[in-house]
Parts: sequence; structure tokens; C-alpha cells
Amino acid sequence: MAEIACTHCNLKFDESVMITEEQNAKTLYFCCKGCQGVYHLLENEGLDTFYDKLGDTQLQPATQLTDDLHKFDLEGFKNKYIKVHDDGLYEINLIIEGIHCSACVWLNEKVLHKTEGVIEATINYTNNKAKVIWDPEEVKLSRIIETIRSIGYNAYPYDPTLQEERAVKTRKAYYSRILVGVFGTMNIMWIAIAQYAGYFTGMQQGFKDILNVAEFILATPVLFYSGWIFFRGAYYGFKNHIVNMDTLVASGAVSAYIYSIYAMVTQSGEVYFDSVVMIITFVLVGKYLEVLSKKNAVDTLDSIMGSTPTEVTILKEGIKSLIGIENVEVGDIIELKPGEKVVIDGVVTSGQGSFDESSLTGENEPVYKQKGDEILSGSICLDSVLHYKASKDASHSLLTSIVNLLEESITKKPHIEQLANTVSGYFSSIILIIALLTFTGWYLWHGSFETALIVGISVIVIACPCALGLATPMATLVGIGIAAKRGLLFKEAGFLETMAKSNLLALDKTGTITEGKPSVIKAKLYEGFDPALLLALVNTSNHPISKGIASYLREQNTSLESLPLEDIKSIEAKGIEAACQGKKLLGGNAALLKAFNIHIDEHSENSLFFFAIDNILVARFELTDTIREGAKEAIAKIKALGIKVVMLTGDHEKSASKVARAVGIEEVHTRLLPQEKSALINEFQTHGDIVVMVGDGINDTIALANANIAIAMGQGADVAINVSDVVLLDEKPQSIYEAYQISRRTFRAVKENLGFSLLYNVIAVPLAVMGFVNPLVAALSMSLSSLVVVGNSMRIKMLKFKNENI
Amino acid sequence: MSENIIILMLTVSTFLGALGLIALLWGVKTGQFDDQSKFIDAARYDNEEDLKDAVMMEKKKKEREEKKRKDKEKKKNYMPAD
Repeated sequence: MAEIACTHCNLKFDESVMITEEQNAKTLYFCCKGCQGVYHLLENEGLDTFYDKLGDTQLQPATQLTDDLHKFDLEGFKNKYIKVHDDGLYEINLIIEGIHCSACVWLNEKVLHKTEGVIEATINYTNNKAKVIWDPEEVKLSRIIETIRSIGYNAYPYDPTLQEERAVKTRKAYYSRILVGVFGTMNIMWIAIAQYAGYFTGMQQGFKDILNVAEFILATPVLFYSGWIFFRGAYYGFKNHIVNMDTLVASGAVSAYIYSIYAMVTQSGEVYFDSVVMIITFVLVGKYLEVLSKKNAVDTLDSIMGSTPTEVTILKEGIKSLIGIENVEVGDIIELKPGEKVVIDGVVTSGQGSFDESSLTGENEPVYKQKGDEILSGSICLDSVLHYKASKDASHSLLTSIVNLLEESITKKPHIEQLANTVSGYFSSIILIIALLTFTGWYLWHGSFETALIVGISVIVIACPCALGLATPMATLVGIGIAAKRGLLFKEAGFLETMAKSNLLALDKTGTITEGKPSVIKAKLYEGFDPALLLALVNTSNHPISKGIASYLREQNTSLESLPLEDIKSIEAKGIEAACQGKKLLGGNAALLKAFNIHIDEHSENSLFFFAIDNILVARFELTDTIREGAKEAIAKIKALGIKVVMLTGDHEKSASKVARAVGIEEVHTRLLPQEKSALINEFQTHGDIVVMVGDGINDTIALANANIAIAMGQGADVAINVSDVVLLDEKPQSIYEAYQISRRTFRAVKENLGFSLLYNVIAVPLAVMGFVNPLVAALSMSLSSLVVVGNSMRIKMLKFKNENI
Repeated sequence: MSENIIILMLTVSTFLGALGLIALLWGVKTGQFDDQSKFIDAARYDNEEDLKDAVMMEKKKKEREEKKRKDKEKKKNYMPAD
């Protein structure tokens, strides 16, 4: 039977299970009622051009709506999320869920625009965040949310804390300053060409004056507007008694500027306006490259907190009531429904069920809990209703403490002093002292205040911080570019240097070293086995083991018809039971088959799955989480670089040590909760190690935030990707090794660049001190030194990788 | 070549360039470059309909302001019956 794509969401399903509909002699197929509803809604609204824009992109099937709209109109909600404008308009920031492509954004904006009372609605393509402004007299927020839900998306509010707004503001300010800087520099450059030509061939003083004034006019806004950041930095440095790069840039630019004005007015000597704008613009661009990629910590916390329930159902004297989580007291009995996220720690009092603890341990396999077992907040109840007694209140529960820890560690990320900063600090002080000594020396020896001042200033100008300022940004920019080409996204330039200095690599197990999903490694088939029946059975379950079996069957047999099943029963934490064509099907673990008195061989260190038809065993599968390809080689190579490799996992010793042995890791830490992982990272750091942590899940998040460098897998949890510094798009362990290679090569280039610009100064500054500097030497050496730095940085591109397929 | 021509050339060319700069700065200030992907995609979806949409939103805003103003006037002219 052919698979057909749903008209709305483009997901492919078997023709027999689709809802079909005839319209204008065309057959439409839908995978569910939700998709059908959305399709007709869009058609009626005249928005069906959405599907042309969508192309082949697959969407999530439109889900049935949950009935919690009333909460959006509550007073408490309004106080927390809604901003009231002076003119009575309301503003809210929403995260829209289910956006896959730009067509989705287009559709959402369109629909919101059409909603009565919505004054403004803009959605950011990059992070799917929306800002909606509406008139509360005409429309309620619940109606707006309902509109978004009606077209198959979901929206939840978030609090755009000051931090995010400030980050955007900084970026904008830098951008404007750079625009002015580049504009000024480019224009002064072509005027300066005329100046240089005149210097060689001779030029009348009248023309020279005109060019000087034009340069002066262009340089002034660049120095005071674009250069403002350096003045501010120099001022703060001065207040804290620190001489930094900003001090040198500011003093160099200002003194060159003042000297040039003096030269212009007295019509003596050459002007240096081109140097002024070049210093400011180049160093500003370098600074901007660093600001540009500053991470946004707020995003991270939004997505964790946004998905947690704010209310729980509690049972008091037999009466169910819904109360806010902050009002829950220790000892209250809480009811948990299937699919609900646990927000308060507790102990089960009645009922039993499976829990998804992947956000705590990283393991995808559900954990079975019954009366007396402890349940932790952050886990998700999968399949049954149960009651539990709160053992902690909301603020002391694990989930809240994880969020708090995360918040703390994001702001307190350990900082490694960057080489360029250290060097420029010393360099700036030395140059300023030399300039001062030169001035006094010339004044005493020559007696002329004017000459002494000019020579003193020329020392600062010739010690042009251009090359020094460009040394790091140029090299790291090239390094980041190469890394990005190889599927490694470094979020900040500075991370390359930290990574190059690191000496300890901590790896998570599930999802990082391994694939994170079980796959069949051994299958024993007995008489009477029918793959079609088994496929139908495992397709009814979302358990990772079932999925592993299903993908194995599809690989083995490409054309399997799906069979209709009856009486599907899922037996908690054991397996599935169903009937098909009069046969009784059983699929599950050893415990399930034992319950039906079927004799089996349950001796294996891997996960087992048995399949029985009419109480006769027909198949036995061994599944295990496979190790990623090339993990062993990559780890061996990383070790060869002199880096210690350790493994941190939430899994138990047995499976952890098996994986560790297979890939060659000696040090393994097992059964770690999220906060314990991060405590270990801190412990490594107190021993003086610079730690790189690689992880993929929510459970790794705090550890990632605490590590000096956090690397996340591209398919990992959003939160993990948000807190991480480097993202591995292709998820290959080999890429971790390449990240080390690139960062070390880049750091070497940074050191070379710094070394060169210092060497240049060792030669140029003495000349300036002796008063031998003329504008030609200054301009030439300035451009040359910058060019050498740029050229040396380009050499990083020649880095060779092994296993190159090109 | 007279000095005046040089002055004229410099002023005119710099002025034209400055106009472009001011337009860019305005664009940055009003948030038109905030969202890179939108900036690029907007070209793909830009058509008459979107223009109409934008006009509709403007109209909505204006209508509301109009209403507000009228409401205020009403309040001002309101005299308590005695």
C-alpha cells in the first residue's frame, strides 16, 4: 500500500488510515481531524496560499486543543506577563510552538493581523518569539491564543526580562557606531589618497587645507560617536586603576586628533585623521565581533519554565481542587495524570506507572514506579493516574533548584583571562610611560614645548594598536569560519582560546558517545514468526525499545503491510498485548512473558524484547544503545593531544563501564543527578583543570553551564544547545577532535599575531622616540602591520583534516 | 582646477553618502535589521497582498486613535445632569 502525504502537514501515512475527502474532483488526504480542520479554516479565510509557500516542509500534525484558555484572562497572569501601555493597549511576548519554516511565520502573522483588535503582531523568524499588541476592549488574550491554536500552533507567554532587551540594544548601538565608523573611514581614505599623492608630487597649501578640513569634518563624528565606547572603557579603567586596550585606543586616537587639528590650523606638517578613524573603526569591528555572538541566557530559562505547569490537582479530604504550585505544602496528596510533568517531589501513595526521567538522567527508557517509590520533579508521568504525597514544597523541589542553579551558573561562568587582554594591558602601560618620558626628555633637552608634544604624540600614534586590536578577532573569525564549514558552531570568538587551553574533556554517555536510542544487535527467530504482526504491535507504542524494533523490522523487510489490531492493551512497564486475526499477540520484556507462563532465556547484559503468538515464543531480540561511529578513534586522538577524558553519566555502572571500555575511557562517574554532574565539573576546576563538557540532554544542562566550554549535540535538547558554547551539527565524535584542532591552530595564530605586533613596536617606537617619524612611515607601517596580521590569520585556512573526503 | 570645484565635489559626494548613512541608521533604529532571516525571506513573500495587509494594520491603529479621541471629547463635553 502506498504512503500518502497529508494535505496539511505533509507527513506521510498509509492510505488506509487517512481521512479522505473529495473536493472539486480532487482527493484530499488528512492524517487527523486536526489537520482537516486547519485546512478548511485556512481555505475559508482565503489563506490557502500558505501551502504554496510551505512547499515540501513537514509540519507537526495539528493537535486537539486543550481546555486551559481561561487561565490567560486571569488577573495573576496579566500581572506577570502583560505590559500595559500608556494608551491602554496591552502587550505580550509569546513563544510560538510548531513553527518549522518561514511560511509558518507568515501564516501566524497573517492570522493575527486579521484578528479584530490586534494592533500589532510581529514574529521573529529566528527564535519564533512573537510580540503582540492588542486592544483589551476589543479582544481578550484567550481569544488571541485560541486563534493561534486553531491553525495548529501553540503559544505560551514568556517574560522578556531586561537582559534580552539590553542585549538587542547593545547590538543595535554597536551596529550604528560601526556604520558611522566605516562611512567615515572609507571617505577619509579616498581623500587621504589625494593627500599622499600631494605629499610626493607637491600640492598647493590651499588644496591641502580643503582636504584637511574635509577629513576633519568626517573624522569628528567617528571619534566621538563611534569611539565613545573606548572613552567609556578608558574611563572605567581609570576609575579602577586598570590600563587596558581602551585606554591606549582612546589616548592614541585623541592625541592624534588633537595633533592633526593643530597641524591643520597652523598649516604645518601632516594630518593624521586617517589613522584616527582607522584605529577606531578596526578595533571597534573587532569588539563588535565579540559582542555579536554573546549568548542570550534568558532564552534558556524561558523554555524550561514555560513548559512547567503552574497549578496541580490536590486531594484534600476526598475533594479535588486545583491550586497554584507555590501553595502546595509538604504532606499534601497530589494527583498526577498521564502526560503531566511533575513539579513537586514526592512519594507515591497509590497507583503505579512509568515515568520519563530523561530530563534528569538522560536515559530514554521509562522508569517504573509504584507505591512507596520516590518521584522527582522534572520527570513526566507517561501512562497512568496516580496519587503521591508531596515531600517538599515547590521552591525546594528538584526542578526549581535545577532552574535556580542554572540561572546562577549562567551568570557565573568561569572566565579565563584572554591572552590579548593581558598583553594589551601591559603593552598600553608601557607605551604610555614611554610617550610621557619622551615628552619630558625632549622638553628638557630641546626646550621647546611644541616639539616635545609632537614627538610624544607620535610615539602613541606609531605604536598603532591596530595590529594588536586586530590580532585576536581576525584569527578567531577565520577559525570560526572554518569550524562552521565543518559543522561546528562556535558561539563566541573567545571560546576558541579557552578550548585551546583546556586539558580535560568530560563526556556524557547517552546521546553523546552513544546514539541515545536502542537498536537491535541480536535477533533469534523461531518458527511461526511474522514480521508484519510484530511491526503492527510495536507501532502502537512510543517506548524507545518498540521504536528500535520497528526500525529494525523496516530495515530487514522493506514492504510490510500494516495490519489492523484489536484489543490493544499496554501493560505498564512490561509490554503490549493485542489481538489480530484471532491470534493473541504479546510483546515485551521477560517479566511480561513470565506472567503468561512462557519459558524464556532471560540471560543477557542487553535489553531484551520477546514476541509471542498465542503464548508461543516466536522471536527474541537483544537491544543496546550503539556507540557512535568513530567514537573510539576520536577519543584516542584527543588523548594523544594530552587531554584527559572522563565520562559522566546518569546511567548505572554496568552499562556505563561497558561503553567506557569500548571507547577507551578509564575514568567513569556513574549514577549522577544533574547537580552532581555540575559539582564534579566544579571539582575538576578547583584542581586547576580547564574543562570541556560535551552533552545533549536537559540533565547535562547545569554541568554544561558550569564548564569552561560546553559542547552540545545538534539534535540535543533546546536548553542544552542554548547554554552551550559550541554546537556539533553533525554529532560526530570526530568533530570534537576537530574542534580541538581548529581551536589550537587558531590560538597559535593569535599568539603569532600578538608576537608580530609587539615586534613591530619594538622597531617602530624607538624611531618615534628619536623623532624620525614622518607621515609616510606612519601610514605605510600602520597598513603593513595590519596586513601582516590579516595575512597570518588567513593561514589558518590551510589546516588539514584527516579523513578529508573532498 | 579651482579650489571651489574641489569644495563642491567633496561636499556633494559626502552629502550623498551621508544620506545613505542616515537611511541605514534609521533602519537600524527602527529594528528593520533585527531579524536576519526575516530580512531575507521578506523578499520572497513580498507582494501586493502584504502591502494591503500593512495598510490594514495602519488603518486599524488610526481608527483606534480616532475612537480614543472621540471618547475623550465626549467625556469633556459631558455635563452632569442636575
